[in-house]
Amino acid sequence: MNNAISYTDPSIFCYAILAVALPLFAALINFCLPVKSKAAGWISTLAILVGCVLSAMVFAAVWNQQPQHVQTLWFTIGTTKVFAGILLNNLSVMMLLLVSLIALPVHIYSTAYMKHDDRYSRYFTYLSFFCFSMLGLVVVDSLVLFYAFWELVGFSSYLLIGFWFTKDKAVQANKKAFIMNRIGDIGLLSAIIIIFAKFHTFDIATLFINDNLVFKSVIHDGLWISASGQIPAVWQYVACIGVFMAVAAKSAQFPLHTWLPDAMEGPTSVSALIHAATMVAAGVFLLGRVYPLFTDSELTILGVIGCFTAFMAATIALTQNDLKRVLAYSTISQLGYMILAMGVGAYGSSLFHLATHAFFKCLLFLVAGVVIHEMQHIKEENNLDIDPQNIQYMGGLRKKLPVTFIAAVVGSLALIGIPLTSGYLSKDGILIQAFEWSEGRSAWLKLIPAGALFTSWLTAFYVSRLIVKVFFGEFRLLKKHPEIKLHISDGGWQYRVPLILLAICSLFPLFSLNPFFYEKAWLFESLKPAEFMARENIYHTIIPIGVNILSVFVMYAAYAIYVKRNTFSFPQTGFLYRLSYNQWYLDKIYRKAIVKPILGLGKTCFWFDRNVIDGLIHLIERSSRMVAALTAWSDKHIVDGFLHLMAALVQSIGNFARKFQNGKVQYYLYSMLLIVLILFVLKILI
Amino acid sequence: MITLTDFLLVGALLFCTGIYMIVSKRNSIQVLIGIELMLNAAILNLVAFGKYDKLNNGGQVFALFAIVLAAATTAVALAIILNVYRRYKTIDPDEIKNLRD
Repeated sequence: MNNAISYTDPSIFCYAILAVALPLFAALINFCLPVKSKAAGWISTLAILVGCVLSAMVFAAVWNQQPQHVQTLWFTIGTTKVFAGILLNNLSVMMLLLVSLIALPVHIYSTAYMKHDDRYSRYFTYLSFFCFSMLGLVVVDSLVLFYAFWELVGFSSYLLIGFWFTKDKAVQANKKAFIMNRIGDIGLLSAIIIIFAKFHTFDIATLFINDNLVFKSVIHDGLWISASGQIPAVWQYVACIGVFMAVAAKSAQFPLHTWLPDAMEGPTSVSALIHAATMVAAGVFLLGRVYPLFTDSELTILGVIGCFTAFMAATIALTQNDLKRVLAYSTISQLGYMILAMGVGAYGSSLFHLATHAFFKCLLFLVAGVVIHEMQHIKEENNLDIDPQNIQYMGGLRKKLPVTFIAAVVGSLALIGIPLTSGYLSKDGILIQAFEWSEGRSAWLKLIPAGALFTSWLTAFYVSRLIVKVFFGEFRLLKKHPEIKLHISDGGWQYRVPLILLAICSLFPLFSLNPFFYEKAWLFESLKPAEFMARENIYHTIIPIGVNILSVFVMYAAYAIYVKRNTFSFPQTGFLYRLSYNQWYLDKIYRKAIVKPILGLGKTCFWFDRNVIDGLIHLIERSSRMVAALTAWSDKHIVDGFLHLMAALVQSIGNFARKFQNGKVQYYLYSMLLIVLILFVLKILI
Repeated sequence: MITLTDFLLVGALLFCTGIYMIVSKRNSIQVLIGIELMLNAAILNLVAFGKYDKLNNGGQVFALFAIVLAAATTAVALAIILNVYRRYKTIDPDEIKNLRD
């Protein structure tokens, strides 16, 4: 389908490169500015604004057209030529536009949110650097470059999580995120190496799009066969596991998800951009790029893991009290949906959900940012000792923060998937296709769509709980401390505009003119696979209705439980509660099973180093010193002694000879006579 | 009859007396006299051996030369002794040790 050589407008590539490079320039300029300079925010925002316009132009030119590809020789090793270039197809231009569109409101928001920070310009340096890495990641065409940007994304995320590095928790969190991501990076690197060994190219276009070498290769009789040769099939499995590890680490899938909730230690605006909307979607994007690599059974495993992650994260989100942590777990849960969708072959729905999720989750995080900001404000004004992120202290904020409240409601409805929102369109698409996929498969695999369905009700509950606890009822902090005064509001335009902008983007019109049928969404129509099943079976009707009716009930139940308190409240002692509250004990298990043994190993190595290796070295040192002492002694006493002996000998001979030279004329004559006499005597005797 | 041996004996006696004076006397003048005695012993030997050259009388001629030279050297030596005395206020050769290194 892509064989025709289409006309390529070179300016498109200029725009794309410029859109990627502008944030980098902004980061470089900000890096040179003084740390508190307020100009930094506007430089970064301007860069991303221009980048956004350019991305939109690129998007308009490439969307639903032939993929555009340009490349240049990067370097040559032996006979292998490695190319670097830009690949623009539907997937990458969508991501390009999405990332810059999300980044723009976050930048505006950050200018206000980070206003009082001591390292204001440093923050924008990091933020722009992140945007550069992420935008670079989506447009590059070579797996090597892809890996480089993948690392840069992880690195800038590390910088931003630990932005407030004086907090010990933030340092722990960014270390954890970095180490978890390294595990994934190892997987990605090994997958890239295997793919290169097999197909002798790093070019994504050749591998997955134009010639689709990967798709044409087959696994037969334990061999992985393609036109370029054959290698044992086990390498294909290793490559898939490697890609999965990378996806799991970046997109926070079980079992590598535990870094994401901790990453909420960073500034909230960062969480909104990186840990909710864009960076965590990089894993799904990677899956989208290398999708043909996966075989049917591997996709099934992917689906199982996605479903499990979605379910597990949703159960954990039920009981968390930290505002951002709830949102973090809901992010993990939604990412689980995306992976699940990839697993069941709903490629288009997965990416569609990625796009819609980016908007509403970013919105929810920005809302959380406003709420936390105001709570922090109250805390500082009244010298209270509270955690500003704890939702137990909140309540009734809808009257104080009306704009924020409306934005929050829109965002949560989208997250739950109520009709008229974008979330409905994408999420129900995933559910329906999951059910269609499970048709005619074993009963165990039917658990996947069922789990996804159940998770969507759990989502409805925990999101409602969050909204109700924060915005409805009475302000519980006021109840506890009746004396405090409240001076809180939605904040300036830098807070309101991004919220309103994102709230509008979370509604259906951006994606589809028909608010009820996801198949009509333009984004989905362009990304869906060719053999897509049309609206023919009963799932398409029954599931949206069933999901939404029950969701509404669940939402009402949450409202009743947390506001009216006229029904039962949950026991807080049961096993299930503790399991959820302690996040399935996964952190503790990791600590016990992995961190402790590794630390123990480290300590053992340290002990070994200290006692055995150092001991050996000390032994060598001591014996060399002994040898040296011996040498010094012999040098001093034997060699020098010999020399001194010689000197003494010469001196004594000299002294003896000097006696004859005593200056007395008669003595000289006397000696001369004596010598002559001796000579005569000797002559006579001999 | 006085034989050659008698001359040589007298010469040797004179020579030995000279040496003895040179090595033992505490006065430079006496040492100089010792030197003159040794010189005279040598001249006596020259004259004595002169009987083997009656044609040219080489021995006697040499003796004359030697006497003249001895007179000259004695004058020089006396001048040295006079200077030494001026400088060191003594002419005891034991006291003058500046030849030492």
